[in-house]
Amino acid sequence: MKPDNAIDLVGVTKKFDEVTAVREFSTEIKKGEFFSLLGPSGCGKTTTLRMIAGLEVPTEGRILLEGSDVSSTPAYRRNVNTVFQDYALFPHMSVRKNIYFPLKMKRISRSEAEPRIERVLRLVNMEGFANRLPQQLSGGQRQRIALARSLVNEPAALLLDEPLGALDFKLRVAMQKVLKDIQRNVGITFIYVTHDQSEAMTMSDRIAVMKDGLAHQIASPDEIYNNPATAFVASFIGDMNFVHGTVRDNDGKTCLLDVEGRKVTANRAVDLGKGAEALVCIRTERVQINPQRSVENRGSATLSRIVYRGTDYEATCRIGQSEIRAVVQAVAWPTELRLGDTVDVAWSAEDVIVFPREEEADVIKYSAEAV
Amino acid sequence: MKRRTSKPRQFIKGIPIAVWMLALVVVPLMFTFLMSFYSSSGLMIDTTLTLENYRLFFTDPLYARILFKSIRLALVISVLSIAAAFPLAYMVSFKIRRGRNMLFMLCIIPLWVSYLVRIIAWRTILGNRGVINSALMAIGVIKEPLTFFLYNQFAIAITLTYICIPFVFIPVYTALEKIPRNLLDASSDLGANELRAFVNVVLPLGLPGLITGFIFSFIIALGDYIIPLQLGGTQGIMFGNLVWSQFGFAFNWPLGAALGFILFAIAVTILGLTSKFGTTEGGFLSE
Repeated sequence: MKPDNAIDLVGVTKKFDEVTAVREFSTEIKKGEFFSLLGPSGCGKTTTLRMIAGLEVPTEGRILLEGSDVSSTPAYRRNVNTVFQDYALFPHMSVRKNIYFPLKMKRISRSEAEPRIERVLRLVNMEGFANRLPQQLSGGQRQRIALARSLVNEPAALLLDEPLGALDFKLRVAMQKVLKDIQRNVGITFIYVTHDQSEAMTMSDRIAVMKDGLAHQIASPDEIYNNPATAFVASFIGDMNFVHGTVRDNDGKTCLLDVEGRKVTANRAVDLGKGAEALVCIRTERVQINPQRSVENRGSATLSRIVYRGTDYEATCRIGQSEIRAVVQAVAWPTELRLGDTVDVAWSAEDVIVFPREEEADVIKYSAEAV
Repeated sequence: MKRRTSKPRQFIKGIPIAVWMLALVVVPLMFTFLMSFYSSSGLMIDTTLTLENYRLFFTDPLYARILFKSIRLALVISVLSIAAAFPLAYMVSFKIRRGRNMLFMLCIIPLWVSYLVRIIAWRTILGNRGVINSALMAIGVIKEPLTFFLYNQFAIAITLTYICIPFVFIPVYTALEKIPRNLLDASSDLGANELRAFVNVVLPLGLPGLITGFIFSFIIALGDYIIPLQLGGTQGIMFGNLVWSQFGFAFNWPLGAALGFILFAIAVTILGLTSKFGTTEGGFLSE
């Protein structure tokens, strides 16, 4: 609750009848931060955003905007603005009138508003479109007008609810750059809702990864990728191998596990006792095939599948009942390998992440095998 | 290619509706129009063409006076119907979550009851021993029944307003239902309280439905002759009654046709003027 925070969320909970949409969400969002709420649909990310906007009232907890409690302030008196998923531009108003709307609500005169309207139009690169109606614009253009309309009031924070969801892939990537540039230029706090992990990873300063109303982890993209807090986060972000193992020994710094009768070392603190059932995780791009150097964890496996994906190869290796996928850069791929070959798969002890076996239920499976 | 083949197909699809319109609207209107240039002598209709009926309308001030009175009353009724139906539609569409369909049905159920039954019902409500007078007498506000409820323009206005409410409610409700709800979230988010959101977003987007409702109620009120006959008393002769009486009592069909055609022309003019402000389907977004 420092004064330089744009938004503080303190134990924010939202219940719809019997369903809990958001559970005890707490975090501090600094001024100028790009903060993302990431998770699959129905995880409560949009509800969290709507509570910050004032469009939903939290059942419990407090929301502070620049240090003052706004928990019971209606949306129209909060100094935050939202870019809605399908833009929500007023169809009966021109672009100019749409952008003038928030200023009009603040009783700012037309003449006073005009330079501000021009400025935000320039900011989103849409000068010359002021007299168009929303239905005369393309999806990307509407998006930028919605952004301009939300920025013209210079809000304490800009809330974006899957703003790029309706755009096609190339346009989405282009708009990601536009958004990030605008955020840097105007220095406004962005709170960004998305289900697209790569979008969140590339744009955010911090990410809250949510599932079933619960924030599993709130951390920087780097932290979330390399030190996921739960098996769900590990599976939702990036590409991860999950295999079953049993804890053999654990001294708090190094954990020794048994996977398919082979010894696996994990160089990190693991909160599991001897003999505990574990879920052992290794990033696919950290798995090496026939490495030259000596690596802590090494074992022989059978190549059961090879998929060429342009920039890389995905090789599936079978060890006993388990499968380990390795993603190898195409330039580094040993071309002599064939299906059924016996190879050495290896990974460093730093790259092994261990979770209790119970968390397996939370793992999101995207691979074809899971379907 | 596709364009070229679709045109004749569209044309064929249009034939049934064209035949329908021709047989039930255009041909009868043509007959009426033709009839208005005939004259009647006794019980016979003289088919020599004459402008006599129209001359009578423009020279005898009685007709213009009654027409003006009818238009004025129809306008009052339209305004009253909108004033009653718009808030109702707004409530049902925006404020009610549960039982919305039931409320919608309740609003249009009066349409299922016979027109005459509803008129008789209003007579029972407004009459000397009616609901209002009995209630007022029972609580001792008045000793004698109030007579100004019935057999005057007030009675016509209140009953026709009641008749018109569903016809305004339906297009307004349809237009309000079409307004994307996130526009209200957006206006609230951008600093508009409920009143300002209503004035700046709901009203302009609901306007086409409102105009349709206005047209419906105005035309119903302008053409009606049964309610003035039943509840209007001596004050209550409306233009519709004039037309009807030429066909009914006076047996002057040509004059009735001419008066009817004048009423029709006025209705069409008003329809043309108002429909400029919006589409008649009640949809602003449908383009």
